[in-house]
Amino acid sequence: MGEIGILSQLIIPFFGHDITINIKVVVMTWLVFGILIVLGLFARHKRSILPRPVQALGEFIVSVLYELTEDALGKELAQKYAPLVCALFMFLLLSNWVGIIPHLEEPTRDLNTTFGLGLIGFCIAHYAGIKTKGFKAYSKEYFQPIFFMMPLNLIGELAKIVSISFRLFGNILGGSIIILVVSYLTFSLVLPPFLYAFFGLFVGTIQAFVFTMLTVVYISVQVK
Amino acid sequence: MGFEVETIIKIAAFSGGGIAMGLGAIGAAVGQGYTAARANLAVSRNPKISGDIFKSMLVGQAIAESASIFALVITILLLFVIPPSPGLLDAAAYLGAGLCMGFGAIGSGIGAGNPGGEACFGLSRQPEAGSQLTTNMLIGSAVCQTPAIFAMVVALMLIFIKFGGAALTPTWAALIGAGLSTGLAAIGSGYGGGLAAGASCEGIARTPQSVTSVTTLMLIGQAVAQTPSIFGLLISFILMFKTFPESSLLMTPMALLGAGLCMGLGGIGPGIGNGMAAEGAVRWVARNVEHSSDLMRIMLVGQAVSQSTAIYAMVVSLVLIFVV
Repeated sequence: MGEIGILSQLIIPFFGHDITINIKVVVMTWLVFGILIVLGLFARHKRSILPRPVQALGEFIVSVLYELTEDALGKELAQKYAPLVCALFMFLLLSNWVGIIPHLEEPTRDLNTTFGLGLIGFCIAHYAGIKTKGFKAYSKEYFQPIFFMMPLNLIGELAKIVSISFRLFGNILGGSIIILVVSYLTFSLVLPPFLYAFFGLFVGTIQAFVFTMLTVVYISVQVK
Repeated sequence: MGFEVETIIKIAAFSGGGIAMGLGAIGAAVGQGYTAARANLAVSRNPKISGDIFKSMLVGQAIAESASIFALVITILLLFVIPPSPGLLDAAAYLGAGLCMGFGAIGSGIGAGNPGGEACFGLSRQPEAGSQLTTNMLIGSAVCQTPAIFAMVVALMLIFIKFGGAALTPTWAALIGAGLSTGLAAIGSGYGGGLAAGASCEGIARTPQSVTSVTTLMLIGQAVAQTPSIFGLLISFILMFKTFPESSLLMTPMALLGAGLCMGLGGIGPGIGNGMAAEGAVRWVARNVEHSSDLMRIMLVGQAVSQSTAIYAMVVSLVLIFVV
């Protein structure tokens, strides 16, 4: 049971500091990138009015996500942010699903991945807010309702990154730990296929959707 | 006291197991009772489809039970666990694991009864929407279990990770505090998530064509309602994985224990409050689909305000851990 909490790390000394790279996470992330790029190329290949299955799948995913973004942000902004939303959702979905294949690990199981994605969403939301409202109106919101609430508003804003990234990380890590413990206790005989389906496919899909929607919603709260 | 280390570990493991199952039995039973009560009401309103309602009730109750099953798993582990290299820290970790899972199962159990009950009641009102209702109930009550799953993960980590090398004096309090933080904070979030899921089942029964907006808003509302339990998880992780220097003062362990209690208790109210905000928004989106984006924005702002108390608790916990 020693596997819980062990990472394969590559530590490079760099002018007195250690640069730590979690090799498995990097490899898995690039694997997910690779699958997505191949899928995208296939969906684009020989486009026609009568779509073949892969093209139809791609069109379905993109149109559903595009509509969701349009509902939250309105027509104009959706054009700008929908590609980001589609890419985020597809990356997260595949990342969460990749763990159901033995020996592969979800990149989202590492806090660095989810925290990075949360940080991206946070920066984009605030950039959008500053751009649409102007810096003055944007910064004024931190002094609502009274000026001395500023530090608390700031902490509340920063806590959003913590909550969005820990939500995904906790769910995916939790699922894999529960699967690990159950397989250890039952000698991999009884439950794991069902648990893989629940935590990998079901929870993975829901959490990918929640993460994506929350990113969109954070943008829309900043914009309006 | 004149006990050996093994005896103390056994005492902690047995009492931890007892706490986990004892407290863990509260929530699911209440939730299932609520489901059954609503199912009775539903059958009396529409006796023709009593078979469907009965099936729906059983499915809803089975999901509500899962929090208690998590508690049962942790209890069995605690009863039969044998640490490879026994130390006094194992005793603290086992007690923490029991507390964490016991408290953590309460909220999700009570909460998951809500969507089950409302799905049964909705079925009696709108039998044609049966499949949408069942899907929505399954998603809602599964997401409701997330706080209990967080509690189970922290409990499993406390049981299986070796803390042997750490300094005994502040670390024992850190481990119990880690259990309390996630366990207590899960109560509010689990119950709040259940409120949102229940409202969504009620709303879908009222206007089945609004199912997409209602489910989306329910997921977002539940996700935000879980934020306090995520803060609890964060504090637990810090308490488990930070190495504390040895100290003979009583102050240090008490500060760590206090950090866990502060985050745990501070997370209960915001979890329920966020759940209520989500409940209201989801219920009214079903009646007024065109204004779903306004409702969502007001829900999020309201939740952000109601969440601020959880953020205060987190700040105080971090101060207790890192400064005091």
